[in-house]
Amino acid sequence: MNTALFLVGSCLLLAVFPVALVLPRARIFRLQPALWLILLGNLLITWFSLDIFIHDKILDIDLYQLLPGLEISFHIDRLASFFISIIVVVSICTAIYSTSYVHHITGRIRQRLSIALMSLFVLSMVGVVAASNTFTLLFFWETMSFSSFLLVMTEYEQPQTLKSGLFYFIMTQFGTVFLLFAFVLSYTITGSFDIAPLSGASSFEQSLVFVMLFIGFGTKAGVIPFHKWLPYAHSASPSNISALMSGVMIKVAIYGMVRYLLFVLDPEPWWGIMILVFGLVSALLGVIYALKEPDLKKMLAYCSIENIGVILIGLGLNLIFTNQGLDELAFLSLAGALFHTLNHALFKSLLFMIAGSVISVTGTRDLTQMGGLIKLMPKTGLLFLIGAAAVSALPPLNGFVSELMIFQSFLQSFDIRSDFIHILMLIGLSLFALTSALAAATFVKAFGMIFLALPRSEKARGAHEVAGPMLVGPLILAILCVLFGVFSYQISRYLDFPIEIPNMMLISIIMIFNMVIIFGLLRLFANRTSRTAETWGCGITWQHSTMEYTPSGFSYPLVRVFTPIYRTRESIRKTFADRRDAIVAGGKAQLRTFHFFEESLYMPIAHAVERISRRISNLHNVDLDIYILASFLTVIILILVMGWVL
Amino acid sequence: MNGSMLVFGLINTLFVLLLSPFFMSLIKKVKAYTQGHHGPPLLQTYYQIGKLLRKETVYSVNTSVIMRMSPLINITFLLAASLFVPLIFVPDPSSGIGNLILFLYLMVVAKVFMALGGLDAGSTFGGMGSSREMSFSAIVEPVVIIVFAALAFVLGTTNIHEMFALTSHSSFFSNPTILLISFALFIILIVETGRIPVDNPETHLELTMIHEAMILESSGPNLALMEISHAVKQTLLMGILINILAPWGLADHLSTGGVVLGIVAFAGKAAVLAVVVGIFESAMAKMRLFRLPMLFMLAYAFSFLTVLLDLLS
Repeated sequence: MNTALFLVGSCLLLAVFPVALVLPRARIFRLQPALWLILLGNLLITWFSLDIFIHDKILDIDLYQLLPGLEISFHIDRLASFFISIIVVVSICTAIYSTSYVHHITGRIRQRLSIALMSLFVLSMVGVVAASNTFTLLFFWETMSFSSFLLVMTEYEQPQTLKSGLFYFIMTQFGTVFLLFAFVLSYTITGSFDIAPLSGASSFEQSLVFVMLFIGFGTKAGVIPFHKWLPYAHSASPSNISALMSGVMIKVAIYGMVRYLLFVLDPEPWWGIMILVFGLVSALLGVIYALKEPDLKKMLAYCSIENIGVILIGLGLNLIFTNQGLDELAFLSLAGALFHTLNHALFKSLLFMIAGSVISVTGTRDLTQMGGLIKLMPKTGLLFLIGAAAVSALPPLNGFVSELMIFQSFLQSFDIRSDFIHILMLIGLSLFALTSALAAATFVKAFGMIFLALPRSEKARGAHEVAGPMLVGPLILAILCVLFGVFSYQISRYLDFPIEIPNMMLISIIMIFNMVIIFGLLRLFANRTSRTAETWGCGITWQHSTMEYTPSGFSYPLVRVFTPIYRTRESIRKTFADRRDAIVAGGKAQLRTFHFFEESLYMPIAHAVERISRRISNLHNVDLDIYILASFLTVIILILVMGWVL
Repeated sequence: MNGSMLVFGLINTLFVLLLSPFFMSLIKKVKAYTQGHHGPPLLQTYYQIGKLLRKETVYSVNTSVIMRMSPLINITFLLAASLFVPLIFVPDPSSGIGNLILFLYLMVVAKVFMALGGLDAGSTFGGMGSSREMSFSAIVEPVVIIVFAALAFVLGTTNIHEMFALTSHSSFFSNPTILLISFALFIILIVETGRIPVDNPETHLELTMIHEAMILESSGPNLALMEISHAVKQTLLMGILINILAPWGLADHLSTGGVVLGIVAFAGKAAVLAVVVGIFESAMAKMRLFRLPMLFMLAYAFSFLTVLLDLLS
């Protein structure tokens, strides 16, 4: 039954290819059926994965044997089904959204290709999570990378997209190389490709595999310093694809990490600390960059980096607590990390879809050009508000509950024996709080600048509400955000998880009660008349949008406080008209943000690789003598090495 | 939700709601005295709220539904937060009420909606207020959390109700580090309620305001709700400081005598604290905006020191 559901669902996803690309010429009938197929396939897989998750089943499927030892096979347990559920639920909403959004992509063939690839992309993500051996994992991993690369390149004519796409492709292959290393290494230890405990591995080998996997999965997840592809790829791709990539794909990498850390490797004490530190750095720098970013989609991408950081913080805490023997706290922090994975998938894809709607009607990604949209597109605005509240961890929404779990596990770590870890916990806690508060500031800015006050440009003035499907997709996610927040306590009880979280439903009831009473009292006793007038402007006669606060103005106080992190470079050159340097005749002033990771880390490595490859390719162009010399030297070295080894 | 909790909720909410405006005027009165004039009567804030409730509301033409929603959301969340700080008696534990993080974040929601309200009218002053409020509340957040973490560490619980139950049974002589935390809590009280040296609500230049600039466009009943919320928030933060440092009179169960004693004791202690705040404000000058992080760092250092001292002992 379950196997059938899974396979039929997957086949439906595959069937999207012929439907979208090959079927007869009826024009209208191709796009919509293809998307409905994606929807149906995903629904079947949702049913299947929820069944496995709720009843805690285990399912093995052997699909196809390529060679003895190399086979495509799946192993789906509670952890895998949890991630599969995330993938398919978000994909369903994205598919609904796309039925309308796809018309914003120019070109008929491109629309069809984009839908076909989208379904392949979703299927490959499910495949990665379901994989039972490293061969299957790598196969689907590469399918996922390749299909997402093609999707990023949808608007390939634009030079910016071309650059972003290539950047993404190179980074993703960089990650795969490390994964490949790790998998081959574990194969030499255990002699099998199965994802199973590395029995008999020395602690050095374990650590080596861990570091390789961390770099490999971390690159895909966007952990700082391997994050730079995220803002590029997300801003270049269509918004429904950004929603999938940011909402789901980076979670697949998180799945890889969780799977290996919990079920395969035997964690050393320093791993947890390392993951915690990387998580804190990603979270803090991610949100600090997001705060300053004027490009809406890049801002959301940086915010994804922040949330990946939060998930890693939970994961790191889990390892630390397990190592300290505090099992309850370890469970709480792991639950926090996994719940945040789910929540981030929900609200980030919601936000990306809304961003797509806003961008499609205004034609700009620049926050400075927006404003006042809530009056023109109120439903979209309200959905964005829910998403923004969830990502800023405002109670009673879901983002709050998962951050609360991580806060609780930080706060309750009284029983840790090591002083060093105690101090680390305190520093981690304060940085985590800072991150969370900065996220709130970022999204107050985003919501305020996009939706409130007066429109700042002609483009924003011409905005209008989007079509139905572009509201329904995000709406489902928004409802889930509210439900997973308000009923988090009941859900944890239903699933029998021994975690202590406040009953958000109780708080919500109290608040609704308070609100009704206050509202009623105001209706009864307060003056109910109201009128409209101009905004008070200190004596000005009319108000203009140029008088409003701008996005950069809003973030200025924080940018100024964090100047050392942004590393803004100022250079001012003045020429003077007189000898005493009193009268300025002219000059040049420049303000430039120094892209630390790109300029100090990525480019030097890229240049070094380029130099080395140029040296090597130089060897190919010389005459025969050099080749003979090289062969001769190789033979000598081989003889010497063999003699020494044998 | 049991009976004791229900009674607690009613009494605590009403008490906070009714008493909070008094401390606002009391602080004003103290400041007036130090400046050499008599100042407004002690019930001035009540008169003001009454007057605002009778006035009509004026909305800017640029505003949206946010402006209409935010005062109500503001007070709703702050009243929900008030359940987390028992002022008169500590009820039996109930699931989730009293959780420290939830308390802090309920206040954050109120703040976020106030900031959105400030941006809604498109006025420069509102934008400036929101920007500063969000910026400085972000920077003060690590301090707040570390102060409460220090409390949780010293008292061994993350539930405010349990904290109060613990402090009311012991004096700070048994936990001398509480004195250090109290200092940090006092700084947080000053920062979060927008008092000198952080914010000056009485200046006549909107450019230098934070809190007042945000609610500049509110009027009538909306402004009344905002004023009440601000007063409630101040009382809650005062309540935490008082019940950690000097929990005398806080009843540990529901009884008529306990409630009466609790009301009298809290009103008295809070009045003393309000006088202290007034004197503190009068003695300070407003700080330059970008020097504020120094003040926050001071509170941070105090709390960190608390934990270190506790670790050593």
